[in-house]
Amino acid sequence: MTVRRFHAEIGTAITTGALGVAAIIGAAELGTGWSDHGPQPGYFPFWVAIVLIGASLWNLGGAVAAHLKAQRTPPDPLDDPEEPFLPRQNLIRIATFLGAMTAFVIGMLTVGFYVAATFYIGLTAWRQGGFRLWKGLAIGAAFAVSLYLIFETIFQIPLLKGPLEPLLGIY
Amino acid sequence: MGNFDLLMHGFSVAITPMHLMLMVAGVLMGLVVGVLPGLGAPNGVSLLIPLTFALDPTSAIILLTSMYWGALFGGSTTSILFNIPGEPSSVATTFDGYPMARNGQSTRALTLAFVSAGVGALMGILVITLLAGWASQFALRFGAPEYFAVYFLAFAAFIGMGSAAPMKTLVSLTTGLILTSVGMDSVTGSIRLTYGFSDLLGGISFLVVVIGLFGIGELLATVQEGLRFRGVSSKIDLRDVLKTLAELPKYWATTLRSGLIGIWMGITPGGPTAASFMSYGVARQASRQGAAFGSGRPEGIVAPETADHSAGTCAMLPMLALGVPSSATAAVMMGGLMIWGLTPGPMLFATKPDFVWGLIASMYVSNLLGVILVLATVPMFAALLRIPFTIIGPMIVAICFVGAYTVSGATFDLWLVLVFGLVGFLFTKLDYPLAPMILAMVLGHKAENAFHQSMLLSDGSLGIFFANPLVTGIMMVALALLILPKTLGLALSLRRNRKVVA
Repeated sequence: MTVRRFHAEIGTAITTGALGVAAIIGAAELGTGWSDHGPQPGYFPFWVAIVLIGASLWNLGGAVAAHLKAQRTPPDPLDDPEEPFLPRQNLIRIATFLGAMTAFVIGMLTVGFYVAATFYIGLTAWRQGGFRLWKGLAIGAAFAVSLYLIFETIFQIPLLKGPLEPLLGIY
Repeated sequence: MGNFDLLMHGFSVAITPMHLMLMVAGVLMGLVVGVLPGLGAPNGVSLLIPLTFALDPTSAIILLTSMYWGALFGGSTTSILFNIPGEPSSVATTFDGYPMARNGQSTRALTLAFVSAGVGALMGILVITLLAGWASQFALRFGAPEYFAVYFLAFAAFIGMGSAAPMKTLVSLTTGLILTSVGMDSVTGSIRLTYGFSDLLGGISFLVVVIGLFGIGELLATVQEGLRFRGVSSKIDLRDVLKTLAELPKYWATTLRSGLIGIWMGITPGGPTAASFMSYGVARQASRQGAAFGSGRPEGIVAPETADHSAGTCAMLPMLALGVPSSATAAVMMGGLMIWGLTPGPMLFATKPDFVWGLIASMYVSNLLGVILVLATVPMFAALLRIPFTIIGPMIVAICFVGAYTVSGATFDLWLVLVFGLVGFLFTKLDYPLAPMILAMVLGHKAENAFHQSMLLSDGSLGIFFANPLVTGIMMVALALLILPKTLGLALSLRRNRKVVA
């Protein structure tokens, strides 16, 4: 089954509505009414969440209505809720990019920013850009070193480090 | 002291070697940010804020605003040379800018764009200079109910005047308000909406959200379309520049009209993007040869660029005088002000004249610098886009994550960037606007505080929002902005339909 645009619309509306429900649950614990000191802490989030749920329901209804209408009459080619949300080709591109990015985040947390960035940039250039592996890694390393100079030397902001940096005498 | 004396004092603050250097650095960084897809002005400014903690606020705001001007210029560059708008607000520039560049007149197109952008910016700053004193005087009469009414006005204007569906704007806005409620409540001191996660105790930083929504989200959108640049020559010929300069006065009417549209849209929360589109449309209707638009008409470049920049500069006025930013970038800058310990609003004019007038004076200087710098460096920055995306894309990703990490040194924020990147991509694909979410995150606490204080004053009666002419007036304007634009549009389209049927 391909994900069509109205599926995405419906999914988004349900998610934003769920966020509203979560906020109501959180706000209810704090009290959503009035006390002697004015509104209780949960008052503001509670009413904002009510509005959010209302707007989400409206969008949900709108998406369903557009879907039903498109099934009865030939849809507007420029604004067709039945068109695939992400064609296969685009989906693959997004998934690859997101996968690499997630790996980079995990890398940052385990081996530190500099090593993770070197490999992330190097491997992407190698696998997708058609560069030689050593060339990609060299570009990545040059990038990491320049960020080190900018952040840690000039601005004195430490970035995440892993097990490698102490071995090189960098803390 | 009159505005003129204050402005002169501002120039003495702004024109120091240190500040001139910051302006050049800011404009150049802004150009990089504007040229690269995936790094927009709001995102670029967010990335820079953690680096400004070491500077004094005046230097910091000069650096950030200069970066904003640079990003606006950079966005136009890629619109004209590559048909890729580097910024949403330069989409309208592609309509005529790219065709003109394709016809071998890229120097002419770029000069038209940059110079009219500079003129637009100057018009905007002139208005700020004239209105600043008055606006802050006016705002001094504000109490808590008036402030809440102004915030309500900002929210209402986004819903009523935005180009997206009102209910989608509302979802974006309320999502931002809920996100900003997470963590410590500044009024009562209680911990809200953390659901037992200690990572959420400190709240969700709007900077991290901006980096995710605008940075990663925009990159994902770029990636899924598959990048193919078809650039045209980016050589700048000085003789063509001078020839174009001589040609510019011919378009005085377009410039004036577009500047006024930009000023209006900048002060009311329409923002630069809406201003540039509206101004392009008006220029097309006003032109006797309307059909030729889209094939490289000079007016088609002058109009959106002038409006874009005058709106961008004018967005600073409500931010400084009222604490209500009217564009996403202004919202981020206002968040920066609050991090530096300044409270935007009328008191800022009274207590920190050096800051306010230094900033206003610096806007004159840095925009002039911007026009010269951008003409001189265009070939260099256009070359950035010739670097393969497989190299530059991961670098932008790495910079975004580093920027998010430096906000507060929390690893949890890295995951938030990833999540908000996905949200930004989804929202953009489904036409949910992103700017209202940022506006809500920056204004949420202030709006809630103002509401809370008003309720204390009135003992819980909503009548306080209609208690005096000033607050009633603001509320009425807000309700009109909320309801009128869409209902008028609906009524007009109904009438048109009926005519077609009859």
